[in-house]
Amino acid sequence: MSKKVTTTSTGAEIRHKPLGMRIWNHRGYYLMFLPVLIYVLIIYYWPMLGIRYSFYDYTLKKMEFVGLKHFQSLFRDRDFWRSFKNTLELSVTKLLITTAASVLVSVFINEMHNLTVKKGLQTIIYLPHFMSWTVTAAIFTLFLSTSSTGMVNETLKSWGVIKDSIDFLHSTSLWRPVFYLVNIWKETGWGTVIFLATLSGINPELYEAADIDGATRMQKIWYVTVPALLNTVIIVLILNLAKVLNMFESVFVMYNNRVFEVSDVISTYIYRKTFLTAIPNYGYTTAVGLFKSLVGCLLVLVCDAASKKIRGRGIM
Amino acid sequence: MAKKDMASSGPKAHVHVFDIVNYIVFVILALIIIVPIWKVVVDSFNAVGVYQFKLWPTQPTLGGYQTILSTSKLYRPFLNSVITTVFGTLLGLVMSTLGGYVLCQFEMPGREAMAFFLLFTMIFSGGMIPEYLVMKQLHLTNNMWILVVKHGMNVYNLVLMRNFFEGIPASLFEAAEIDGCSPMGIFFKIVLPLSKAALASIGLMYAVTVWNDYSTVQIYITTRDQVNFQYILRVMVMDGDTPTSGYKVSQNTLYYAAIVMAILPFMILYPFLQQYFVTGVNIGAVKE
Repeated sequence: MSKKVTTTSTGAEIRHKPLGMRIWNHRGYYLMFLPVLIYVLIIYYWPMLGIRYSFYDYTLKKMEFVGLKHFQSLFRDRDFWRSFKNTLELSVTKLLITTAASVLVSVFINEMHNLTVKKGLQTIIYLPHFMSWTVTAAIFTLFLSTSSTGMVNETLKSWGVIKDSIDFLHSTSLWRPVFYLVNIWKETGWGTVIFLATLSGINPELYEAADIDGATRMQKIWYVTVPALLNTVIIVLILNLAKVLNMFESVFVMYNNRVFEVSDVISTYIYRKTFLTAIPNYGYTTAVGLFKSLVGCLLVLVCDAASKKIRGRGIM
Repeated sequence: MAKKDMASSGPKAHVHVFDIVNYIVFVILALIIIVPIWKVVVDSFNAVGVYQFKLWPTQPTLGGYQTILSTSKLYRPFLNSVITTVFGTLLGLVMSTLGGYVLCQFEMPGREAMAFFLLFTMIFSGGMIPEYLVMKQLHLTNNMWILVVKHGMNVYNLVLMRNFFEGIPASLFEAAEIDGCSPMGIFFKIVLPLSKAALASIGLMYAVTVWNDYSTVQIYITTRDQVNFQYILRVMVMDGDTPTSGYKVSQNTLYYAAIVMAILPFMILYPFLQQYFVTGVNIGAVKE
């Protein structure tokens, strides 16, 4: 009879042998997968069993089934909703402004025809991406400090712009702008990598055709470069939208109890409720985590569907 | 590129206004990144704390670094960072190359299920608290090896590795199989030697992740001799809790020296390995 024929991603045909024989032929590969399997089971799947705690009262002393109690108190908790709202506001705003900044910088880099200068700038602006959030926060905490060595405050004072030092990181009105600026400083350069890859793929004939039509430099940017980037911008936004709830470290290293109102996000809320509470109820914080995971999962699926529709390929 | 250059700027003598603007933008962008980093480096060598931006230290000293290297509460975390980064990177590379290699065996029964088994972890997770409770059961809390275990495999890196392996011509594998090479043999003799660039860039991704990790330490470790350098930096600068008595230098000098130490390994490697830092993204982005 006819054998089933499938093709690999490279287009090579595979003629299937009987299943048992194929399994036997691949025994070496299964063995090689074993360490990965065990590792993933322990590190990723075992914790998933812990989700059941969200239906229990789980403290150091007792473990008692309480049904949906934690979810009921969760939905009534003002601090939880504040952290939920903050997470969305902070990460979506951050995503939009760093992406916009990256696109703008990419266009400038693309217009630079001196290759040495171009490479040099790329090297410099990628740098902050590889610095940890702790380092970044430490640098800006020191620069923005109100002590006599705080660069920003003392410089502004010496210029006569302000009279008294401003406590940037402890001010509810200034914390967010500072947070966004630090994010722009750290991630804009790295964000250009993917846009520059797109731009290097533009057919030079498009620019030549524009020249023949007598287009100016600005017109070429507007009618050739920018449209070429649009698709990539949408993809970048979709890919990152799937991860908006994951925000933790960047906030954790910069926030403090005086600015919780504008900075507390879901993960930092879970952290404080568990590790900075005298008698933590693991059940409650697991429930908060489960809610976050479920919403996050939904976001990933929506973004995956959107990605498939736009570029014919999922996000993974 | 040269062709486009000719076409867009025309005769050489004609300097476009845009080019001048562009050079100015470039200088501003470079300064925005360099000035803060330069200030950190200069102040780490300056015995007195100043608020101004100086090109060179006014009172040069190595005291900040000497203090870090001679205070066990400061150098011990640095060593912990080095150890966990080395082992975390090795474990990560072993796991993601093994997994990536197995997942590109197209004829292997169950391949799809295995891929889903891994990818599912990118969509859904147990969350911070159940993970913490599992690690506690495994006695990995208050233990710096948690950093190695937590980052020992990243599914995304495994997928990048698989994408790279798929680019290796299948004919090479077939020839080796005909010569009687075992899967392990093919892996070591053909796949790995052909993947040096991918190994370098994914290895770097693991190294950066483990070295820079602070939140894992914050969640899992409370004993001071097990923390990493990022943690101690945060405790010093943000919480003002400097684990040293009697300063040889101003507190400011010590803080900035600690920041430099925390970025030193990658500052040294970065100029030489920049291409590998960037290729990792491209393996992921270009693959269609």
